[in-house]
Amino acid sequence: MKLPISIAINGQTRSLEIDTRLTLVALVREELGLTGTHVGCTTGNCGACTVLLDGDTVKSCCVLAADVDGQEITTIEAFSTGASTLHPIQQAFADNQGLQCGFCTPGMVLSTHYLLGQNPSPTEADIRHGISGNLCRCTGYQMIVDSVLDAAQRARESAPSASGAAE
Amino acid sequence: MISSELAFYAPATLAEALEQLAAAEYGATILAGGMSLVPTMNLGLARPETVISLNRIDELAYIEEDADTIRIGAMTRHRDLIGHPIVQAHCPSVAAAASVIGDVQIRNRGTIGGSVAHADPAGDYLPVLAAAGATAVVRSATSERRIGAREFVVDIMRTALEPGELLTELELPKLPADGGSAFVRLARVEGAFAIVNAAAVTSGGSATIAVGGATASPAVAEVAGDASLEEAGDAVYEATEDAFGDLSGSAEYRREMARVYARRALAEARDAAANGGGAQ
Repeated sequence: MKLPISIAINGQTRSLEIDTRLTLVALVREELGLTGTHVGCTTGNCGACTVLLDGDTVKSCCVLAADVDGQEITTIEAFSTGASTLHPIQQAFADNQGLQCGFCTPGMVLSTHYLLGQNPSPTEADIRHGISGNLCRCTGYQMIVDSVLDAAQRARESAPSASGAAE
Repeated sequence: MISSELAFYAPATLAEALEQLAAAEYGATILAGGMSLVPTMNLGLARPETVISLNRIDELAYIEEDADTIRIGAMTRHRDLIGHPIVQAHCPSVAAAASVIGDVQIRNRGTIGGSVAHADPAGDYLPVLAAAGATAVVRSATSERRIGAREFVVDIMRTALEPGELLTELELPKLPADGGSAFVRLARVEGAFAIVNAAAVTSGGSATIAVGGATASPAVAEVAGDASLEEAGDAVYEATEDAFGDLSGSAEYRREMARVYARRALAEARDAAANGGGAQ
């Protein structure tokens, strides 16, 4: 069955006709050609396919594309436009060696972005809880946790200081 | 890609969904958050021909209270239950269960109705609802009925829902002022399904403990208010005679863990009651 849907992908509105069997990650990768979002397990365990759906992280292998009609999807492609223009979260991962093979990294960056939106000053425990839906088989996680701590600090330093303004 | 052809509907109202469900000649599969259904479709284990998504039905996502009960719409997502003031104040074990389901991404999408209707024996809401004496509200195009949470799950991944019926609401009695509740679970790592999970509610002169994960549906034991933890654990152990075993643990291991977690849940519920009730 074919179905017309309209979505906003990384800020751009797109109308297309899709097969109802497509998952969201297949829509993103195969129909829209945005291959930064990865497919690991297709069972909702690994988190490599994490995207933002109306601003909330979801595992896009577990969402049917037909079910996101009218919604906003943000993928890793929205975070930087090239290797020389990394998003601060990506820069923190690069600087702290928060990746080895890189397969989990797009999902890790999306989950970090979401975590810092909810909690700008996460503890190490908060971070481990916040990225528990993203599996990494290379790093043993410590460097990723360091990257997220660093990303949080960079975000706080670049943001206008709310506490400073109140003093 | 999912291999079998799929007719997909996403109605905007409950009435429409119930009509479509009634009209589906060979039955339709209901899609809530999809956190269990879509993976099983990806693996080819579920091959529905017709899927009706509830994700556009805003009227099924709510948390409301009456004088004695709280009512939770089936499409309420796990993350919306976690910090909700009504849930925290009157049935905090629901929030405790919601907070440990899967991971952040799963909690952002998964729903309480989907989890309950999926009826996985390790589902985290099931013992909470059984211990609380909750009620499932079930609708079809032509009828509405209420099913006790302890009767809702009839076997592993099988519920009392009849063809054409949809779980629309869960209704829980508010915890009394002198009562306490708790939810605890045993799992290998964060995000893993529970090996066993246990909920306890103390109220007046009695306590109810429900343990999931060991049997097809939660094993329930009621004990006197002054029963020892050992007595409570033994009562749950007796109630898990039909325990099953799998790769995560043998039947006997699950029964022993059911005993241990029943004691812990009851101890925590009593602590919560002693500390002014509510908090799990």
